[in-house]
Amino acid sequence: MSYQNPIPDYQLLADRKQEYMKYESSQKLTWCEGCGNFGIQKALERALVLEGITTNNVLMCFDIGCHGNGSDKIAGIGGYTLHGLHGRIISAAAGAALANPRIKVVAEAGDGGTFSEGPGHLIHAVRSNYPMLFILHNNENYGLTTGQASAMTRKGYPMNGSPDGVGAEPINACDFVLGLKPSFVARAFSNDVSHMTDVLRAGLRHNGFAFVEVLQTCPTYNKATPEPWYWDKLRPVDQIKGYDASNLKMAREAAQDMDKEIKVGVLYQDKNSVNFLERLPGRKGIKTALVDEVKAFDIAKLIGPYR
Amino acid sequence: MSRTVLKVAGESGMGLLSVGHIVAKMLRGMGFYVHSDREYPSLIKGGSSNMQIDFGPSPIRCLSKETDLVIALDREGLVEYLDTIKEGGVLVHGFERHHLIKDLQEKAAKRHIHLLYLPAHSIAHELGGGELMVNMVLLGLMWRVLGFQLKPLEEAITEQFAKKPKLLEIDLKCVRAGYEAKGVEIPAYKIPVPKSKPDQILIDGNMGVALGAIKAGVRAYYAYPMSPSSSILTYLANFSHETGMVVKQAEDEITAAQMAVGSMHMGTRALVATSGGGYDLMTETVSMAGMIECPLVVVLCQRPGPATGLPTWTSQGDLQMAIHSAHGEFAKIVLAASDPKSCYELTQQALNLAERFQAPVVPLSEKQVCESQVMVNLEEGEAIAIERGLVTAPKELAALKSADRFRHTENGVSKRWIPGSAPAGYYANSDEHREDGVLTEAADEAKAMMEKRMRKVEAIREALPDSVVFGPKKADISFVGWGSSKGVALDAIEACAEKGIKVNYLHFDYLWPLRDEAFRKFHKANPNIHMLENNFQGQLAELLEGKTGLKFKGRFLKYDGRPFYLEEVVEYAEKNK
Ligand SMILES: Cc1ncc(C[n+]2csc(CCOP(=O)(O)OP(=O)(O)O)c2C)c(N)n1
Repeated sequence: MSYQNPIPDYQLLADRKQEYMKYESSQKLTWCEGCGNFGIQKALERALVLEGITTNNVLMCFDIGCHGNGSDKIAGIGGYTLHGLHGRIISAAAGAALANPRIKVVAEAGDGGTFSEGPGHLIHAVRSNYPMLFILHNNENYGLTTGQASAMTRKGYPMNGSPDGVGAEPINACDFVLGLKPSFVARAFSNDVSHMTDVLRAGLRHNGFAFVEVLQTCPTYNKATPEPWYWDKLRPVDQIKGYDASNLKMAREAAQDMDKEIKVGVLYQDKNSVNFLERLPGRKGIKTALVDEVKAFDIAKLIGPYR
Repeated sequence: MSRTVLKVAGESGMGLLSVGHIVAKMLRGMGFYVHSDREYPSLIKGGSSNMQIDFGPSPIRCLSKETDLVIALDREGLVEYLDTIKEGGVLVHGFERHHLIKDLQEKAAKRHIHLLYLPAHSIAHELGGGELMVNMVLLGLMWRVLGFQLKPLEEAITEQFAKKPKLLEIDLKCVRAGYEAKGVEIPAYKIPVPKSKPDQILIDGNMGVALGAIKAGVRAYYAYPMSPSSSILTYLANFSHETGMVVKQAEDEITAAQMAVGSMHMGTRALVATSGGGYDLMTETVSMAGMIECPLVVVLCQRPGPATGLPTWTSQGDLQMAIHSAHGEFAKIVLAASDPKSCYELTQQALNLAERFQAPVVPLSEKQVCESQVMVNLEEGEAIAIERGLVTAPKELAALKSADRFRHTENGVSKRWIPGSAPAGYYANSDEHREDGVLTEAADEAKAMMEKRMRKVEAIREALPDSVVFGPKKADISFVGWGSSKGVALDAIEACAEKGIKVNYLHFDYLWPLRDEAFRKFHKANPNIHMLENNFQGQLAELLEGKTGLKFKGRFLKYDGRPFYLEEVVEYAEKNK
């Protein structure tokens, strides 16, 4: 391991243990032994609690996939959850986020759903800068449908349905998103819960579309990059001298390497980010949220010119 | 019931729209009832298009096939529309090379059609307006033919082009030159100007949808452009500074539908609109809304299919598609608008139904309804109150349990509350689930939940208004229809009455879940019953016959992209009475 885990905020977590326990659920966990989803769930729960977001103030949105099978295993008490369609969760979550910015919207999806079934949603969510956190569970395959190749599967590894491996190059998720002039891009590793917690906290605080790629172990189907493969390759950017997370060019450079020295942490953030709602001239000066505004609107003024 | 029918024909981009709009506006201002529509190809420039205006002293609910007066801005317009002119009608044109239209002149002479020619091109050029103002010269001439005063026309043009003062002056000169009509023998037309002006506005169906949405408290509109739904996006976006509505052109229809579900789930009101192809893409989301019992309203503006079909023409071909759309079995509501006023009202009703029954609602529209400009009074009649079916009382919110959200109730409708408003959260799961939303694959739980959701179908059917009879209780010939069939049927009732034929009509605003009590009664009283539908199969006829076992005597079907014209329905009635 090339770096030290940062010390988590133990005291604060301890102080907020009641809030924390509300994120726990009595449902049986159904992931494989060693699945990276355990770590992601843990880190997200911690990040939410540490950011002071209670189960009643968050909408958790899940795509369809192994990660989505955790949708009823978080925010068990008093939480609001939406488990949508394969490849489409970003847009459903965006619609929810626009409706009520007082409630934090978190969306999660696999690499299959995000980069094969519905990449258009991701592209335009990044461009639109909807106020939400998105977590990509990148296990480099389709887990739930038993190990088919995804757009992130490494070249040449035999997969279910592709016994000869895929010939195409994998997509580099962070590099792809950085190409879209995003406002927040980060990367974390599913088995480094403390570091991931910090990354997710930064994402939760971000004003706009926060994209977090989690490199997720999949002991059952991803033989190319098992857990031990990662540890000595990870390099947190905040430990790189002179790394400037407000520099998009530097971030793109840092995102490239997925083999030898994989950069993790907040790769890029525009601290002056203006989210979708704030950009709308028609909503300047409006303090309420769309959920507060469902009332009969007087159309007399609008039809005036047609009289 | 006397109406006059005008047509302005030419290539798209020749300014026929501005002529059409000025004329329609003026006629309305003079107290006439106006009904206008545009026929155009799916192109931006070039290709033959026209704008038709039917006007008269009493309400006009559909278009006619034959015209009294055509302005042809180009040769194509001349050739194409001569045959639509009634005997004794007028064709105004500026086509200078007369020898090329010899055959047309002969044709016109045979049917006593007045071909009025003015060298509009040279006049427009001489006055400094160029090709773009040929339309103004011909407009002036047409106005003269109609026998109306020049002054109000000048005023209307001044208003229309107020923002371009330089051009305005030339516009006015061109119009005056046309009105002067040097050397043209003007046939005597006498159209009495009405004494009073109806308290109505002239809008199209898509404006009705937009205003209905605004009135109903819709706070987010998501759409991807597709004819004939696109102008709803335009209207709502242009109103957004006044309404504060979030209007977002989404990257595709799947996104639009998903965003709407997300916004509705969160507790605001959202809307999407599209046409058949876009709706196809939305269907997985419609199914999801059915499963998580989330209100969703998708306005489906029909045009002829399959595939890209006839993008700018009209159809009622997607009724069965809408009813049976999306995988799995779940409660869904289908309505159909027939004119701008019903667009306005049914959009509001659709949002109420979607929220009350926590189900997807598909209000159908059609190009003919979307884009025809019709005179309506939106404020007439009872206002439609917003009904949300949400739990909002603090006491009740405090007592909620997560399992209340999908509780097995008698009518299948469970409690719904805005996320964050109650201590109890809930889980909206597109997987099959228990009352608390948690996934289940147990046979008994799956069965019970399916039965709960499907109980809503009967609850909705009971809540929906039945079809309505127009005209006498008993008639020589009876029609049944939905959507734009209503307008033409109502006008045909009047036109046929003048010929001594008794016609009545049964209209469906609410199509699914289908109610058939009124139909059964109507059928019993009126054995000579015919379907009037703008599609190939007679889709509503099939549904009604299948459900009741009662048969139609005949089906008057049309599927060439054109709406039913008044004369066609009258003729059908005469033949089949
Ligand atoms: C429209 C649609 N197509 C296909 C599927 C089947 N399906 C479910 S999950 C999945 C892929 C899962 O892979 P990924 O998105 O990477 O998530 P993971 O299971 O790895 O977390 C597929 C293809 C579906 N549910 N819906």
